[in-house]
Amino acid sequence: MSAEAIIIGAQIVAGHDGSAELLVNLRHPNGAESPVVLDEATGLKLMKTCGAAHVDELTGQSWRRIVEGL
Amino acid sequence: MYDVIVRGGLVVDGSGAPGYLGDVAVQDGKIVAVGQITGDALRFVEAEGRIVAPGFIDPHTHFDVQLLWDGAAKPALEHGITCVVPGNCSLSLAPLRAADRQQVIGMFQQIEEMPPAAFTEAFEWTWEDFAGYRAAIEKSLSINVAPLVGHSVIRLWVMGPHAQERAADAGEISAMQDMLRECLDAGAVGLSTSFVDVDENGRPVPSRFAQFEELDALSAVLGEYGRMLQIVPEFYAIDITIARIDQLAELSLKHNIPTTFSPVFDSTATPDNVARTVARVEEQFSRGARVWPQMQTRPIDISFSLLRPSLFFARLPRWVRILRQPLEQRIAALRDPETVAKMVADTGPDGGERMMGRLVVRGGDGAPVELTGRTLSDIAKDRGEVTALALINLSLEHGLDVALLSANAGHEVTDRIGPMLAHPLVHIGASDGGAHLASFSTYGDTGYLFSEFVRKSGALSLEQAVAKLTAETADIWGLKDRGRLEAGKAADIVIFDAATIGRGEERPAFDMPGNGMRYVRAATGIDTVLVNGQVAYAGGQYSEARAGVVCV
Repeated sequence: MSAEAIIIGAQIVAGHDGSAELLVNLRHPNGAESPVVLDEATGLKLMKTCGAAHVDELTGQSWRRIVEGL
Repeated sequence: MYDVIVRGGLVVDGSGAPGYLGDVAVQDGKIVAVGQITGDALRFVEAEGRIVAPGFIDPHTHFDVQLLWDGAAKPALEHGITCVVPGNCSLSLAPLRAADRQQVIGMFQQIEEMPPAAFTEAFEWTWEDFAGYRAAIEKSLSINVAPLVGHSVIRLWVMGPHAQERAADAGEISAMQDMLRECLDAGAVGLSTSFVDVDENGRPVPSRFAQFEELDALSAVLGEYGRMLQIVPEFYAIDITIARIDQLAELSLKHNIPTTFSPVFDSTATPDNVARTVARVEEQFSRGARVWPQMQTRPIDISFSLLRPSLFFARLPRWVRILRQPLEQRIAALRDPETVAKMVADTGPDGGERMMGRLVVRGGDGAPVELTGRTLSDIAKDRGEVTALALINLSLEHGLDVALLSANAGHEVTDRIGPMLAHPLVHIGASDGGAHLASFSTYGDTGYLFSEFVRKSGALSLEQAVAKLTAETADIWGLKDRGRLEAGKAADIVIFDAATIGRGEERPAFDMPGNGMRYVRAATGIDTVLVNGQVAYAGGQYSEARAGVVCV
């Protein structure tokens, strides 16, 4: 098991402000899973940081990639 | 002789009790009798076949600026809303020193998308303190206003530039308390704060630099007045939202204040979030706390154009790569036939019909008016192109400034949302009226409650829906004179057709200062709206009445 939270999936959702946002599901080292929604700019940065051209390519990335995009 | 008798309607008085046929008599701005009324009146309003209800209260708006030139908060009033609560999300237009105006304008523009002319042409800044702002809007109100004061502007008043840099010291917190008292004395109905919002440069708004001690101290002042604390929690993460619910509950119990948070909305991608939120709210109410979640009625639409990269294309790698490029290179790529052929191929053998065919062209931007409201599928057929190609070419023909709408992309499953809205602890609100002007319409949520959740799904009875928008909201906010049709209450009355009340289609309007654009929706089924006993709207027209007040 990874010692840090990893992304186990992501999908596009509708944001409160009418933009497309990125819902990222994380699995923590203790096995707990939790979702976090990234706004459009942060979601796009995450994809760029991870070199992902498709949301499915975010799977397996460290949660730290999200922070790098903030 | 009464001033007005509203005659022969089905009286739905806001209490949630079954409606009954009756009349409502009005004198000097107050309701003086409800029932079978005989006697004469200066004016009769015939309501046969219609519902007669208390005026609706919208508890989450950003009309702070608009109210300075439009005392009806159009089109809110024509939707049956007789009282709006501006000043949400930590931002209000007072207290505000002249030297700090530009900074706060930037924050407002970030939230409201108000054109710059609104701040330079539409009104004269005559105030710095809250009483001065109140006096400025009171000159021509035709809707009632129950204003919040924003934590961010109080912080800015006390701390200057440090407000957006650090925590406050004891002296600054004490000064903020004094300022909050002054605002509450001048008519504020509570304090708003935000843990989420940013200014136009992406910097956290001042309220986000506060430590808990500061919020606790300000809540203590709210406790002196029994007034509301409104917050925007970190709604992007459910665990943090629940932690905020707990924090609000502690403040509510400690200081005996009502609290509310928004937005709360459903998503099938996170189907347990609302249930977890409401469950925690139930726990806290059972302890005696008052923590009201505000849920909107309308679905969430996604809008975007090719002017900026959008996550809408996140499942199309080539599209993401191309749309990420600077504008000049992006346009060049979209003009390259070989690239475009690959992009279209990426959208599937149907040329993007399944993925994009239902997108609707919005107005108000570079799109030709005749295309507004039409689906991309229809437009593509007319053009003799596949759907994805039509999207690209149409955008290129108009400098990429063609906004498209993916309707009902979130908070859209009526059978899930109806029971949530009907829950006794869920506060219907979060319309954001007066905000997001260039992105989507924030008007018509009340009509949508009746059309979608009363008539269509039956999740709420007519009387329940009216109670949610009137007496329950007034009680939550401590608006003692509002929300019920009973003798002694303010004569805020809406007369509507239960069979047709709803919201019109979203459309662009160029009625902001400097011909600025916003999206609006007209009301359907609303006959007449009285504010403090005067007819403010009837037969599709606004009157000259200016009977609105700052209500407490």
